[in-house]
This record gives sequence, structure tokens and C-alpha cells, in this order.
Amino acid sequence: MDPAVGSPDPAPAPGATSTAATVLDSLGAEVLAVMSPVSICMALVVLLISLLAPPSSSGAAAAAPPPVTAATLVYLESPTDTPGQKLVGALLDAAVFVALVAVVTFVLVALYYYRCTGFLKNYMRFSAFFVLFSMGGAIAAAVLRRLAAPLDAATALVLLFNASAVGVLSVFASAVPIIVRQGYMVALAVIVAGWLSRLPEWTTWIMLIALALYDLVAVLAPRGPLRMLVELASSRDDELPALVYESRPTVGPASGSSSYSSAMGSVEMQPVADPGRSGGNQYDRVEQEDDLSHAVVEMRDVGGNWSGIRESSSPGGSMFQLGNLDREVPMAVPGQSSNHGGNSQHAVIQIEQHEEGETAPLVSASSANNAVPNEEHRQSSSSDSPLEFEMFESTRGIKLGLGDFIFYSVLVGRAAMYDLMTVYACYLAIIAGLGCTLILLSICKHALPALPISIMLGVTFYFLTRLLMEPFVVGSSTNLVMF
Amino acid sequence: MTVVAGLGYALIALGPAFSLFAGVVARKPFLVLTLLTSTLFWLISLIILSGIWRVFLPIRSGAWWPYAILTLTSVAFQEGIRLVFWRLYKKMEEMLDSFADTISKPRLCLTDKMLISLAGGLGHGVAHAVFFCLSLLTPAFGRATFYVERCSRMPFFLVSAIISLGFLVIHTFSMIVAFNGYDERKRSDQVFAPIVHLIASVMTLINLAPDGCVIGTPLLCVMGAVTLQYCWRMSNAVEKSSNQCIMLEQLDSE
Repeated sequence: MDPAVGSPDPAPAPGATSTAATVLDSLGAEVLAVMSPVSICMALVVLLISLLAPPSSSGAAAAAPPPVTAATLVYLESPTDTPGQKLVGALLDAAVFVALVAVVTFVLVALYYYRCTGFLKNYMRFSAFFVLFSMGGAIAAAVLRRLAAPLDAATALVLLFNASAVGVLSVFASAVPIIVRQGYMVALAVIVAGWLSRLPEWTTWIMLIALALYDLVAVLAPRGPLRMLVELASSRDDELPALVYESRPTVGPASGSSSYSSAMGSVEMQPVADPGRSGGNQYDRVEQEDDLSHAVVEMRDVGGNWSGIRESSSPGGSMFQLGNLDREVPMAVPGQSSNHGGNSQHAVIQIEQHEEGETAPLVSASSANNAVPNEEHRQSSSSDSPLEFEMFESTRGIKLGLGDFIFYSVLVGRAAMYDLMTVYACYLAIIAGLGCTLILLSICKHALPALPISIMLGVTFYFLTRLLMEPFVVGSSTNLVMF
Repeated sequence: MTVVAGLGYALIALGPAFSLFAGVVARKPFLVLTLLTSTLFWLISLIILSGIWRVFLPIRSGAWWPYAILTLTSVAFQEGIRLVFWRLYKKMEEMLDSFADTISKPRLCLTDKMLISLAGGLGHGVAHAVFFCLSLLTPAFGRATFYVERCSRMPFFLVSAIISLGFLVIHTFSMIVAFNGYDERKRSDQVFAPIVHLIASVMTLINLAPDGCVIGTPLLCVMGAVTLQYCWRMSNAVEKSSNQCIMLEQLDSE
């Protein structure tokens, strides 16, 4: 790949090595760490749907009855209904679905409130197993049938069971590499989205919009269930008892991998040692001590509940946990060498906030070290770390709920049933919405719903593309007139 | 034709873009974000254009002048979009520079600026290829192919793939030329991009004539080659005139 860099670009970039030459090198890695799995998930769903679409026919041959799920309890769309009927039915469906989701979320929050964490974890494991084994199995069977690839039942069952077992283990176990965990998260999202995209069309659209609105309320309203969940989790200094995608830096992606591994290999106790050494540029002693205590808390936490509750400490135990924190630092502030601790990083973020906010999300991965100083700046808020449910900047980068993955993919999958053009438009709109949400996230620093902006943009772009753009583009390009 | 043919058409249109992406853009996350932004810009411009033109569509075939007006307005509009994109980029560059100052890194050097403009141009080109070629390519994955009446020598998909390739090259590299021209206030570089874009679009009008695609498509490729060559010369000249960036990088690595 190296010659490919050299040829189109007169001055090859030697900055790709360890010494980052310019700001450009690692800026925005955080954002991309969220966007790329979302993109992969959407691409897989589109592939799945276009693969499973009945060949050589349109709507008429889609005779396979849509599954009776929670979303079609009230009304099952049939092609002969009038638009009015469809609209009312879809509204009812969406209302029922959202109500169900809300009830389930409240139950989960209540369980979490009364500290039934064990039950919650097992429930999550069970649902992950169920999704992977039965729904994933059904989808795998459909794919195999479509590709006319014969596979005997015994082998298929063994493979499926093993894959599901690893998936279940990876959901909450800590000893699983993060890349496996992320892969399973994406797989879960793909499976559920593939399943949900079999819903009838009107129901899908109304349900997406309703869910976006619900998300808005649930995260931002003072008594919203997701908000309560997040605040509870952060007040207990605990991981969220939910399926959440974490964009921790894996060893895999892109350019920075070497620097991560080298930083990881260096000093594990860095976060504890650093504030004393490099701190004091803007903050007084008190905050440094705060920092120290927080780091100690972190360590104790890792030591104590590591086996049960910390679902996502990295492989290798407490030492690696700290090493992981440390790993975060060079990534969070682009190009900053790893001996700068949390304090200087915090300073950077503060400075950034005075600006437009355009570049802020690109640098605003606050590490755990500045979570504590942050709290002192925001006395009013009841939460104590930069947190949210849907999206979340914390020790390990931004977090995105699995539901967001699913419903983005449902939107794109629904677009894929119409045309590829709508797929691209929806994809771009969703990614733009995600980018907007990230910008907002870096400005307001608390829980943000990730669905509303993206879903609204996606739906708007879908209909704009379908109604306006397609006749235009098809009309001009079938005449081979382009511009 | 089957999947192989469809993939082949897709690779004709987007293969160079893909290698540029994998080789240059994907290494720096910021460039990927630039590319996505620029793609979104192009999409929005296309949607606005189609919203304007929706009233007049479909054009009765036969007359060529509506298409001429269509391409002229489209090119004018998209060049306007390029200016807007430039404004945005300029603002972002200031922010990046001040950010670089705060973490005491060197400011954006010439290579960085060119990389950003390359990513921006690639975004435009990819969007063009995606919406004008790739999204119509679905039937090519099936068992048949498709010929347009006016162009009976080549399959429609092949023609549109080649045209998309030409436009991809033109968009990508004329963006570099244009950004550099805006930056250095060089009039000839500034007008280069609109002129090339206009000429290329007018060349696609040749396709309206019976069997015109045999002439129009190669001419478009020539246009792409001209853009590439111009960009090459310009970037060489620019590199010679200001060598500071590389020196800075060398200093940094030492």
C-alpha cells in the first residue's frame, strides 16, 4: 500500500510513522471509531436484504408473510388497504411497539435500581443467545438456501451453537478481546435489523419516527428511563447493564495501531503517576488530588468487582485496565505523546470549548482522569462523569447503544428494498446525523439520544431521493447526459 | 451477464477511487470525514437541483436543448457549491490551525492542504459515480444487459461506468486545482475547474446523437487525462515553490 501513497501525492507522508507530523494524522479517530462499525453494520444489512430479496420479482412475490412480532400486534398491513387504513394501522402498531419498549425499559431500570444485576446480566446473556441462535440461525438458513449451499444439520447446529456460545460469553465476560466483542455487537445488530426489516413498509416508517421521538424523550426528559439508567450506572461507577457498543481502540483499525500497542507496552500505572508529574498547568493541587483519588478508586473497583460487574475491563486484569486508560490518552488528543496526563488533556478540551465547536468532537474524548475535574465545573448536574446511554464519552471512547445500530440499519435496509440510490442517500444522511450528534455531544457533555437527528435526516432524505432525485438522475443518465 | 459483470462495471467506475481511498484517505481519519462531508454536499446539491428540475421532467426525447440547459444550470450550481465548500474548508482550516497551536504542533502544511482537497474532490467524484452509475447498476448483476437506443455499440452500463470514471478523475483533481487556485489567488487555476467541468458535461451531450457515445466517451476520458496532467504539473510547481512542509516534516522526524 505504500507505493499507492507515493504516487498520487507528491510528498509522501512520513508522518504515518510513530512521530505524528501534523494534526491531521489522528484527528477524528474517535468519530471514525464509531462511524465505521455503524457503516459496517448498515452495509451488512443491505447486503443481507438484497441477497434475501426474492429474485426476479417485486412486491407480489414477497409472499412470505411478515412475522408476527410486537410491532405488528395490532395491525398487519396488506397491500390492498387504502393509505388511510395503513396510516392508522401503522400508527397503532408504532404506538404499541413504543409502549412495549418503554415498559420493558422501565422494568429493566427498576431491576437495576433494586440491584438485580445478576438477573439483568443473565437476561442479557439469554437474549443474546436467543438472538444469535434462533434468529441468527434462521437468517443463516435463509442465506444458505438462497446460495444453494448445502450444509448438513448436525454441522450447522454445532457451528451455530459454538458461535452463539462465544457470543454469549463475549457480551459480559471480560476476558474476551474487545474486537470479538465489537464483532458480536455488530452481528447482533445485523441479525435484529435483518429481522425487523421484514416489517411492512408503513409500519417501519412510522415506527422509526416514533422510536426516534421516544428516544428523545427517554434520554432527555428528567424522568426518562434511559436517563435514569445512565445516572444510576454512573452514580454506582458501574458499567451499563445493557448491550452497548464501545469504541475502544482495538489493535486492528487503521494507522494508529502501532502507537497503541507501544503505549500499552510502556507503563501501566501511568494514569496514577502522571497527574503529579505533568499536572499543574491550569489546575491546583486539589484537583490533582482528586485525580489521584479517582485513579485509585478506579483501581480498587477493578480489583474488587472485576469478576462480576465490570463487564468490559480488558483482558489481563487490573493492570491492563490501567494500561487501557493510558492507551486512551495518545488517541484522545491527537498526536499528544503519552507522558501527558489527564490534566493537560482536560486543558485542551476546555480551550476547545471556547471555539466554534466544530472541531470539538474530534478531540473531546475525555479520559477518566478529567471526569472528576469536570464534575467540579458542573455542580448542577447530578451525574458525575461525562455520560450518556446512547452515546457516551468515557474512559473508553464513545459508546453507542445497540438499538441505534439496529434502527439505523432498519432504515437503510428499508431503503435497500426500494433502490440502491435511496440506500446511499440514507446512509449519508444517517452518518451526517451521527456526526451532528457527536458535535452536540462534545458541546453539552451529557447523555444524548443518537436516534432522532439521524432518523429524521434519513427519512427526509429517503423521501426526497425517492420523489425528487430518482426521476431526475434516471432521466438524465439513461440519456447518458451527466455532469 | 452476472455478478462478475456487475462487479466489473462497478470497479471500472470506482476502482481508482477505491485505491485512492485505501491508499491515502483511509489512513487519516480526518480525511475520511472530509470525504463524507463532501459527498453529503454533493448529494444535497443534487437533491436541490432535482427539486428545481422536477417540474420539467420528464423531457420529451428528441430535442437536445433542454438537456443543454439542464447541464448548464447543473454545472453552474455545482460550481457554486464548490465555492461554498471552499468557504467551509477555509473556516475549518483556521480552526485546525488554532488547534494545532494549542497542542503545539506544526500548522497545516501544503501536503495536508492538498490531501484535504484531494479528499474533498474524491468525495464529489465518488458521489457522482455512486449516484449516476452505481445506483443504476443493480440490473447488471442479473442475467441480462441493457442497451440504450442511441448507443447500440456498447452496453449502457459500460458507457455509464466509463463516463463516471472520467467524471471521478475530473472532480477529484479539479478540486485540488481549484483549492490551490483559491488559496494562491491564481485566476487561471480558479477558472480551470469550472471550465473543465463545463466542457466535460457538454461532451456528454454528444451522447444524445445516434452512436454519439463512441465519440463522446473517449473524449471525456481525454478530458480526465487533461485534468490529471494539469493537476500534476501544478502540484509539481507548487511543491518546488514552497518546500517548507517537507522540511518541517523532516525536522520533526529528526
